[in-house]
Amino acid sequence: MADVTYREALRLALDEELARDPNVFLMGEEIGRFEGSYKVTAGLWKKWGPKRVRETPISEEGFVGAGVGAAMLGLRPVVEIMTVNFILVAMDMVVNHAAKVSQMFGGKVKVPMVIRTPGGAGAQLTAQHSQSLEVFFAHTPGLKVVSPASPADAYGLLKSAIRDDDPVLFMENLVLYNLTGPLDTTAGDGAIPIGVAKVVREGGDITIVSHSYTVRRCLTVADRLAQSGIEAEVIDLRSLRPLDVDTVIESVRKTSRCLVAEEGWATFGISAEIAARVHRACFDDLDAPVERVGSAEVPMPYAKSLELAAMPLEEKIEAAARGLLAECGVL
Amino acid sequence: MADELVMPRLSDTMERGTVARWIKHEGDLVASGDVVAEIETDKATMEYQSDLDGTILAILVADGETAELGAPIAIVGEPGEAITPRPAADHTSVTAPVGASSAPATPRVTTAPVKASPIARRIAEESGVDLRELAGRGSGPDGRVVRTDVERLIARAGRREELPPPRAVAPVAPPAEAEVVDATRIQTVIARRMSEAKATVPHFYLTAEIDMTRAMTTRAELNAALAATGEKVSVNDLIVRACGLALHDNRQFHRSWIGGKVAYHPHANVGIAVALDDGLIVPVIREVERKTLRQVASEARDLAKRARTGQLRQPEIEGGTFTVSNLGMFGVAHFAAIINPPEPGILAVGATIERAVPVAGSIAIRPIMNLTLSADHRSSSGADGARFLQSVQRYLEAPILLVG
Repeated sequence: MADVTYREALRLALDEELARDPNVFLMGEEIGRFEGSYKVTAGLWKKWGPKRVRETPISEEGFVGAGVGAAMLGLRPVVEIMTVNFILVAMDMVVNHAAKVSQMFGGKVKVPMVIRTPGGAGAQLTAQHSQSLEVFFAHTPGLKVVSPASPADAYGLLKSAIRDDDPVLFMENLVLYNLTGPLDTTAGDGAIPIGVAKVVREGGDITIVSHSYTVRRCLTVADRLAQSGIEAEVIDLRSLRPLDVDTVIESVRKTSRCLVAEEGWATFGISAEIAARVHRACFDDLDAPVERVGSAEVPMPYAKSLELAAMPLEEKIEAAARGLLAECGVL
Repeated sequence: MADELVMPRLSDTMERGTVARWIKHEGDLVASGDVVAEIETDKATMEYQSDLDGTILAILVADGETAELGAPIAIVGEPGEAITPRPAADHTSVTAPVGASSAPATPRVTTAPVKASPIARRIAEESGVDLRELAGRGSGPDGRVVRTDVERLIARAGRREELPPPRAVAPVAPPAEAEVVDATRIQTVIARRMSEAKATVPHFYLTAEIDMTRAMTTRAELNAALAATGEKVSVNDLIVRACGLALHDNRQFHRSWIGGKVAYHPHANVGIAVALDDGLIVPVIREVERKTLRQVASEARDLAKRARTGQLRQPEIEGGTFTVSNLGMFGVAHFAAIINPPEPGILAVGATIERAVPVAGSIAIRPIMNLTLSADHRSSSGADGARFLQSVQRYLEAPILLVG
């Protein structure tokens, strides 16, 4: 089993799906000759040519719309939006078309399209380029939303996303691209089903739920808590819609304490949804209200010190976990 | 809107606290974080910081008076605001009278809803525990009863059931000529904790004889070299340092049995039993494995001094992972000590006495010290304890390792 980066895992999945199904094609800004702003499509234009790896002008509404149309007519487009921030000009195509066409045509038409796009903060790209907007899509019926946190999940979920007959928002994270992890390409084709969360660390004292890069932060926090004799169970949601809340519930029934961390804003956020569901399902199991951590409720500042202060870094997550445990008379 | 300052939980074992003295008085402005009073717990006197902003409108518990945990001790609000202070005694009456549950046919009269987390309620209901026993005294915010509180109560109740029923004898009356006084708080705590320890922790005991020849030489050399600085290293400091290193080396001994789980300790926090005029207290030297012998010696001296003058702060008497108890200065040859739960063990140190011992085929006179380890058989086996004791011996007989 080889260690690969998150970026390589995505490229491998794209390459293998291009080989598997002639209806699959890639589309996006600078993804061909330039090999993508984050080099996810490195080598693919050379290998598959301009018909399968299409370069587009800077026109998100136009090429997302082209993707919807191609998908309606039976192709399987994988559209890259350079960063999630640029999808905002194409929201009508995503929310009013991709998400709704199938239902409005009585299921006679499908939109088997994938939109891949990275979000996240931490590189001083300031307010307009440091966002985690997955909740916009997770809010919308008709879409599926996945947000892998490891190379193996990136590989397996991208395969499933491409094969899915519904439009899938595939949310990547800028900081994750260089993360390495094991990827076994020898056992089967590696597809991982959409809608299944994963317990990435077992523990009995507190459940910490997150997705995307925040999962890595939560694992670090769990190691720190272990030094105080606290065993945290860390859950990677992996999919936001459909949401596997059962895995979270099962864990909270065991630990009776729940913390949700996300890189987006917590208000109306992923953590709000998880908290609501856990309070409903686990009311009699809870030892304290569900605690949440997200980014500061401001447009991301540019200054490094302020950016760090606004982000939900390990220190904030750890402090929230310790506060919650203290509320429960532990620690 | 007027709000109450309540008697805080400042130690794990306190059930009520005494206001040693008010630092702020009626009419004084307080901000969250200001020290408003000194509170005497069962173990120490601690500062109490306000968690409210405003003016002290009324003090309900005067200097020297005692209140239950969670009972209001002062009212804070806006000057001139009308207040209706709830008498402190009201709060205590929430607790169910002992034996109230012996008449199941009578519906219970609840005097006030008990603030408890849902899981705490559920566990209490499933186990037939009366949450009112814990009303207002939980470890959660504002005395909310949480899961660990109920689990502790159940554990205590379970232990009560396991013990043989008290024999039906007439209560022991003190002899007529005895002078009878109320027990001090420290005496009460020691009595309760030591009875619990002996009744619930399965102790086993291991004794080793330590040849202190080199330790005594090293100590004398060190003290001669340190004479100008006023620092001094005692035999006990050598033992504490040796224990710190040996605990660190023996992970399989350095762990506690807590509520059915095994907790491994990352650092050797060694308590030293300090005799008081009447009673004892165990201040803790933290992370001994990381400290030099001189640091250990100077901390030990400072802690012991402040222990005798009652100036220890609560954090300084908590978090121990092992205890050293030394009665050598009284000439005691050896003894066995009672474990301070949930620590894995305690080391009883006897006097260093010159004895005739065989050395390389002939008889020599050597300073010999007996160490007796009491260990918790739930967290360690005899072999684990023996390996730990062997480490302690190795460090004391090769004392260069204690300074290296």
